Amino acid sequence: MIENIRPDSLEELLTYLDQGDYYVFAGGTDLMIRKRQWQGAERRFDKAIIYLSHLACLRGIIETETHYEIMACTTQNEVAQSAILPEYIKAPIAQMATPSIRNLATIGGNVVNDASVGDSIPVFFALDAEVVLRSVHGVRRLPIEHFIQGKYHTALQHNEILEKICIPKINYDGFFYRKTGLRKASILSKLSVYVLFKVGESSMEDIRVVVGAVNDVPIRSREAELQLLMNGDVASLVAAYKNRMAASDDKRSTKVYREEIACRLIDYYLREVM
Amino acid sequence: MRNVEFILNGKAVSLETSLSRRLLDVLREDFGLTGTKEGCGEGECGACVVFLDGELVNSCLVPMNSVIGKEVQTIEGLAQTKRYRIIEDAFVMAGAVQCGFCTPGMVMATEYLVRRYKHPTNEEIREGLSGNICRCTGYQTILEAVKRVFEEVEDL
Repeated sequence: MIENIRPDSLEELLTYLDQGDYYVFAGGTDLMIRKRQWQGAERRFDKAIIYLSHLACLRGIIETETHYEIMACTTQNEVAQSAILPEYIKAPIAQMATPSIRNLATIGGNVVNDASVGDSIPVFFALDAEVVLRSVHGVRRLPIEHFIQGKYHTALQHNEILEKICIPKINYDGFFYRKTGLRKASILSKLSVYVLFKVGESSMEDIRVVVGAVNDVPIRSREAELQLLMNGDVASLVAAYKNRMAASDDKRSTKVYREEIACRLIDYYLREVM
Repeated sequence: MRNVEFILNGKAVSLETSLSRRLLDVLREDFGLTGTKEGCGEGECGACVVFLDGELVNSCLVPMNSVIGKEVQTIEGLAQTKRYRIIEDAFVMAGAVQCGFCTPGMVMATEYLVRRYKHPTNEEIREGLSGNICRCTGYQTILEAVKRVFEEVEDL
């Protein structure tokens, strides 16, 4: 019988993690599928499970003077319907999965799971978010771009949990978000494009472009964004992003489709605002 | 194994079970509440949706750990309410049931829409039903049924 551990506190959770090897179980919308079995049978877990989503200290959204802080076990619907968060964070999250899955799935789970199709990750890349990781030995704070290291591979140590995601507050005029898939709801993205922009007195003041689900990790080129602000040359930015794309053919889509459509969407959105 | 206590359709219940066992299996096998269906078993089809502390969730993805101390409402519990009668009538009048397998999930999703919106747009209704799949593809009549519900439901 596989051991199921329901810690009563964050300290107890971290102590367990420091001493053993566990499936860390938050919303369960990924793990319960990965470990699926026949109808009525126990899920096929092969090592002990430790649950954390019942810990109130890991849920909620906090607004500070400089940041929005989303605790890791906050559900995706709590993010999408938040009265605190701005629309440029809520809108992409509201398009993830389905209403009933978003009531279970946690924002931290999407980040820690680090699937190449994790739709929240491109948003956090664009917003220069940082992750706060906690273990019994202390706290680490990493930029999301350093945390995400490859497909299903993050900088999280075995004895750490993702405690929260910290998003710097920014003043933006608008955003575009588009993802494509076989249907609108409950589908893994073929690709996604997220663009944030701020218009200054006479020209574009800031622009951020992130492509998700094409490579193993989201694509963002600060250099190309800066060049675009200086010379307004959309084609050069699209070419720079195209150079960084390394999609492959798989059951979700083809390399050609992903890269072509991602480039067209970037081009379309940027010409709308430049 | 552990003793798990929760509220099921308004009544306090408890059972000895594993914390990783699915709520769906507990409802169907331990409590005989077979109105909650297993379709895909991976959160895609919505045939197994129930209310967990008032939020619509796929019971095939919910481990019993997430149920401890909470309130679960299934289609059998909803069927005891006045609003269920309105939803049922609307589904019947619109001919929104063919094989019927998706219907409990569709009804639960409709109830969730009624709890969230007073006058939803077509887009909001479609989004509200987006987690429920009907393999008879009777979506048009289901949409008509949900619109009927909102015409009738003003007073509740």
